[in-house]
Amino acid sequence: MGDYVWFHDVSWHAAYAIYFFVVGIVAGLSFLSYLSWHHEALVPIREKAAYVSVVLLGVGGVLLIGDLSQPLRFLNVLNPAYLNFSSPLAWGSLNILSFGAALVAYIWFMKQGDDKAKLLGMIAGLLAMGLPIYTGFDLTVHQSRPVWNTPVMPVLFVALAMASGSAVASLMAGGDAAAQKMLRQFMLWSAAAVGVILVSILGTTNYGGTAQELSFVIMTSGTMGLIFVGIGILAGTAAPIALMLAPVGRQPIGLMLSALLLLVGSAALRYALLMGPQQLQTLY
Amino acid sequence: MSEELRVSPIETRGVAGKKRYAMVVDTRRCIGCMACQVACKAEYDTPLGVNRTWVPYKVVGKYPMVKKQFLPRLCNHCDDPPCVRNCPVEATYKVEDGGFVLQRYERCIGCRSCMAACPYNARFMLPSHRTYTPITNVVDKCTFCFHRVTQNLVPACVQTCIGRSRVFGDLNDPNSEVSYLVAKNATQVLRPEEGTKPHVFYIGADRNATEFGRDAYNKPEVMEQERSAFKAHFKI
Repeated sequence: MGDYVWFHDVSWHAAYAIYFFVVGIVAGLSFLSYLSWHHEALVPIREKAAYVSVVLLGVGGVLLIGDLSQPLRFLNVLNPAYLNFSSPLAWGSLNILSFGAALVAYIWFMKQGDDKAKLLGMIAGLLAMGLPIYTGFDLTVHQSRPVWNTPVMPVLFVALAMASGSAVASLMAGGDAAAQKMLRQFMLWSAAAVGVILVSILGTTNYGGTAQELSFVIMTSGTMGLIFVGIGILAGTAAPIALMLAPVGRQPIGLMLSALLLLVGSAALRYALLMGPQQLQTLY
Repeated sequence: MSEELRVSPIETRGVAGKKRYAMVVDTRRCIGCMACQVACKAEYDTPLGVNRTWVPYKVVGKYPMVKKQFLPRLCNHCDDPPCVRNCPVEATYKVEDGGFVLQRYERCIGCRSCMAACPYNARFMLPSHRTYTPITNVVDKCTFCFHRVTQNLVPACVQTCIGRSRVFGDLNDPNSEVSYLVAKNATQVLRPEEGTKPHVFYIGADRNATEFGRDAYNKPEVMEQERSAFKAHFKI
C-alpha cells in the first residue's frame, strides 16, 4: 500500500509484434517453397510461396525500420565499423539482408528455369529459418525478463513460423488435395510443438521467483490473459489441433478454418509474448 | 576487491591504474527532498516525463506509525552492462577508465534494445521535440555526470544532496570515501541476481523497496492514464 511507482514505458511496442508475425510467415513459406523441390505434393505452392515471401519481407522491413526512432539510421546496422556482434540484432540484420538477396536470386533462377534454383531455394530456406531463430534470441538474451529469458524461445519462434507459414500456404493451395494433405501435417505438428513449448514456459514461469510469479499473473489475467490464453493458446492453438484431428479437419472447409485460427493464434501469441513480459518492468 | 571475482574482460574491478567510479546511496540519510532529481533535470534539460535519476517511495507501517521509504534510482553503471552487449551498433559503450556507461547519440538508431536489456529501467527514449536541446528521438540515460567528473567535480545530484545521502568516488582507490563506506557498511545492490555488478550501492535499503513489489496484482489505474497521456503528448 502507498507505493509511489514511477512511470516507465515499455521498450518495444506492438509494431515489433506485427513484424515477428510477418517475418514468421515469410520464414515458413520460404522453407515450404524449398521443400517443394523434395516433395511433389508441394510443387503447386512453390512459386506462390516465394512471391508472397518477398512481398511480406518488404512489409516486414518497412515495419522494422519504421519502428526505429531514427529510421534513416538503419544504415548504421550495415556499417561494419559499427556492428556489435554480441547483439542478436546485428546478426539479425545480416540474416535479413542475406535472406532477401538469396530469395530474390531464387525467384530469378526459378523464373529462368535454371537448375541453380534448387540450390538457391535451399540457401533461402535455411536463411529463412534464421529469421525466427534470431527474433527468438532477440528476446532470450534479455535475461532479466521472465518468460523472454527461456532458452526455448528461438525454438518456439521456429514452431510458430512453421505453423503460420503452413497456414498461409494452405490458404494458397486451394483445392489441391495432395498439397493440403501435406500442409495439414505441417500445421498439426507445428501447432502441437507450439502447445508443448508454451505449457513448458508457463509451467517454469509459475514456479520461478517473484518476478516470474508476477509475470505469470500478468500473462494469464486481464486483457493480456484474454489475448495470450484465450486467443493464443485456446482459440489459436488448441482449437485448430482439435479441429484437424476431427473428421471435418480433413475436409477443405475444416482445414481453411484451422489455418485461419492458427494465423489469429500465432499473431496473438507473438503480441502477448512481446508485450506481456514487459509490463512488470514498468512497475519496477 | 579480489580479482578472481572478475569474470568478464569488460570489468574494471581491481584493475591497477584504472578508476572505477561508484555511488553509495545511504537511504537512512535520504529525506526525499528530490533536490537530486531537480539538479539532474537542470543539468541536462531532461524532458518532461522522463528522468535520469528519480526517487520513488513506499509508505510503510500503520497509522500513526507510518514513514516513507525512499530509494533514489539512477543508471547503475554496471561493471558488466547488458545494454552494452545488446546495442547492435555500439552506440552504448563503457569507458574503460572510470567505468562510465555512456551513449553515442549520433550513432543510436533508436531500436530500444538497450532499454529492454536494462534491469533497472534506467534508460528512456527522448521525445521528438525539446525546448533547448537538439538531441531528440534517441535513447538517453544517466552519465554519472561524466563531463563534471572529468573536471574533478562530483555529479550534480551528489553536489546538491542536502542530507549527504549520495556519495561518489573511485572504488579502486582504497582511500576513497566510497571504498570506506562499502567496506564498513552492509550494502545492497539492485537485482544482484542479474549478474550486472552494479556500481550503485545502497546502505539501509529495505528488501521491500529493492525487489519487485506486488503491484502487478493490482496495478494502479493512474499509471495507465499517465502512460496514455505521455504517448499522446510525445506522439509515440
